[in-house]
Amino acid sequence: MARRSPARVIGGRLLQALPVILLATFMVFALLKLVPGDIAVTLAGDNATDARITEIRKIYGLDRPFLVQYGAWLANVVQGDLSQSLLTGEKVATSISRAFPNTLLIVAIALVLALVTGIPMGVIAAIKPDGWVDKTVSMIASLGVAIPGFWLAMILVAEISLKLNWLPATGAKSFSVSPIEAIRHALLPGIAIAAYGMAEVARQLRGSLLEVLSSQYVRTLHAKGLSMTRILWQHGLKNVSVNLFTIISILVNRMLAATVVIEAVFAIPGLGSLIVRGAIQRDFPIVQGVVFTMVIVVILVNLVADLLCAAVDPRIEQ
Amino acid sequence: MTQTTRREVMALITGALAGATLGGDAFAQGTPKRGGILRISAPANPSSLDPATGGAGSDHAFLFTMYDTLTEWDFETLKPKPGLAESWSFSDPTTLVLNIRSGVTFHDGSPLDAEAVKFNLERNKSDPKSNIKADLAAMESAAVTGPLQVTLKLSTPDAALPGILSDRAGMMVSPAAVKASAAGNVARTPVGAGAYAFVSWADGEKIVIKRNEKYWKPNRPYPDGIEFSIIPELTTGSRSVTAGQNDLMYQLPPRQKAIVERASNIKIFNGPTLYVFQIFLNWAKPPFDNIKVRQAFNFAIDRETFVKAALAGLAEPAYMNLPKAHWAYDKSVAGLYPHDPDKAKKLLAEAGFKDGLPIELVGYPDQDSVQRQEILIEQFRKAGMNVRFLNAPIAEASAAFFGAEKRGSGILAAWTGRPDPSLTYSLMFTKDAYYNGGRGAVPPELEAAIKESRASEDIELRRKAFATVQRLVMENALVAPLAFQFELVAMNKKVQGYRPNLLGKPKYDDVWLES
Repeated sequence: MARRSPARVIGGRLLQALPVILLATFMVFALLKLVPGDIAVTLAGDNATDARITEIRKIYGLDRPFLVQYGAWLANVVQGDLSQSLLTGEKVATSISRAFPNTLLIVAIALVLALVTGIPMGVIAAIKPDGWVDKTVSMIASLGVAIPGFWLAMILVAEISLKLNWLPATGAKSFSVSPIEAIRHALLPGIAIAAYGMAEVARQLRGSLLEVLSSQYVRTLHAKGLSMTRILWQHGLKNVSVNLFTIISILVNRMLAATVVIEAVFAIPGLGSLIVRGAIQRDFPIVQGVVFTMVIVVILVNLVADLLCAAVDPRIEQ
Repeated sequence: MTQTTRREVMALITGALAGATLGGDAFAQGTPKRGGILRISAPANPSSLDPATGGAGSDHAFLFTMYDTLTEWDFETLKPKPGLAESWSFSDPTTLVLNIRSGVTFHDGSPLDAEAVKFNLERNKSDPKSNIKADLAAMESAAVTGPLQVTLKLSTPDAALPGILSDRAGMMVSPAAVKASAAGNVARTPVGAGAYAFVSWADGEKIVIKRNEKYWKPNRPYPDGIEFSIIPELTTGSRSVTAGQNDLMYQLPPRQKAIVERASNIKIFNGPTLYVFQIFLNWAKPPFDNIKVRQAFNFAIDRETFVKAALAGLAEPAYMNLPKAHWAYDKSVAGLYPHDPDKAKKLLAEAGFKDGLPIELVGYPDQDSVQRQEILIEQFRKAGMNVRFLNAPIAEASAAFFGAEKRGSGILAAWTGRPDPSLTYSLMFTKDAYYNGGRGAVPPELEAAIKESRASEDIELRRKAFATVQRLVMENALVAPLAFQFELVAMNKKVQGYRPNLLGKPKYDDVWLES
């Protein structure tokens, strides 16, 4: 079978993404409209009468049929305009471009931490399965999966920020203005999310590495007299890298979701805080905008992971 | 070099008195000095920085810093006092004359004169996006009768107006800025005449303002600027103060007080506010269409215990919609509903519910609300009422109760108070008011008394009118007030000169920072 060019593959995948984006934003929009509670009441202010609330619905176009409202939003998006917050009038694109780097930095830190701790743990556990090292790693991994991120976050704040005063307890700084300050602010939330990632990486890596190491060609390699280190680095890890890329793509998506809670604990103005505020106030352009962004990020991450997998393992047909 | 003026001495004395009476450590120590940035943790993103189009009660904490009001209020009693209007008078019951202070300018340099005041009042009254039309309902027209004099013609006598002009309706926006902006939208580009001028607003993140160097109050404000970090999670907000990222946090939850106080560098101020926890009743449908049931409901509540158990003692038991410190408080009404479960049972029996009465109330699902509900459920149970709460998020619950659905017989919520009490009463206890959840009829003598409370500007006459209003509301048991929440403000010891106020919406008039 002839291989398709990467450009066509990417184009095809992006085309497939369109219905996903449509479906996701439509479902979220429908959910927001189904949930009782109404932004018109908020917009109308503290002293509102029924008549005033009806009037407000009219002014902001909230009295139009559901599909018309969604259509209007979609028409704007097609023209590259994510529209603006109903409540404060800030451009949704502005809010997102300000919030996204904060979230991205936390996820990046969490991912790096998860990998630099998770990979060695997985490897040393796989070398001697069922040894005490493996058992310890398994225990730490189970803990990492079991401990809720927000709980760990609060413990970290109490110990490291409030008691020792090493790292700030709240807020975020812009990476482009002061990278070091930005990382200092993002470190604790990063660690809180990384714990789960570390556990996941270690467990998955151990599993797939064990499978590779027990295969026949590894036995042959042993027989040829290759050292364990060379087998591990030259053959073992290369073979599990496909699994690793898949784990990473799943992790990034999960970590993005985890920021919703973690950002609240650390008062970080990122995408998670943004969508929570939008949802609570029923400010649907904000929610729609964030969902739209998240869907695109998830699709991109999956696409990159798939491309990388195919590059490492040509057997994977794109 | 700053000189202490007579005004400042007065402020210090008032502050000290407030400290003594309100139980806070309000003594300003040392001489106020200029400089520094006050960093505040604010619990909510403003809905708008335009006083006319905004809606949330939490906006004032920002608006008051950037906009000065035509009248101001006394911190302790909320009696109106001169602001941008240095004096006012009713030449007859339907004519209010405002004399504007001379020499005041907006942040953009344009003059704050009679024309500007007229422009604002008319905008607030008739702009389609204005949320405060109702506040100025009685105003028929505003006319410039001198370079610094505006005369308001009223359709009905409205003595509440001076109080109303201390809130959104009296916040003056630069007409030049409104005219220059697209569709007159200044929600994100506020230009007022307040102590601080707007610098930037990043939604849900930060609001930055800087000192208005041409502010009309001498030597004010002291700090170079204020930075509000918007932190909706209140425990996170208080951590930001104890960990030193912020200097001050308002709306500290009572349960956090003990935790925050453990930090040695933090002090906490508290004082009563108009913010009252209460159960709004739907008296248009059973069981609360029966006055005996409503009265029994009120007798069943042990407010003292409620304050101790649910609010860590940091509240004042509420027997009506005004706290003790308010200028219109009437002591005699406070004795109407002592805790008396036997009396409640007797009233229920008379109403035909001898074997107990199931009641469904609407409530909120957060931890603090549920705790309040549990305490009340137990109190009602002892009086023969089997109360069940239908909980939903705030927006949903209040829309369901006050809107068309009419869910539940009552809602455990709160009333944030208004600068003039006549607003509080007319917004809840008139036939078509939104906060009269059932839109049920109101005793005609109550409607008349509410009207009467706005008829005269004489404060003694108004006090009497409000006494009647309060008595009628409580005798008819149209609401079950529970407790006035204290304003709790945590700050590090650098912050000086802060004073709590009865409205419970923070103002930073005399705040300065120790270096």
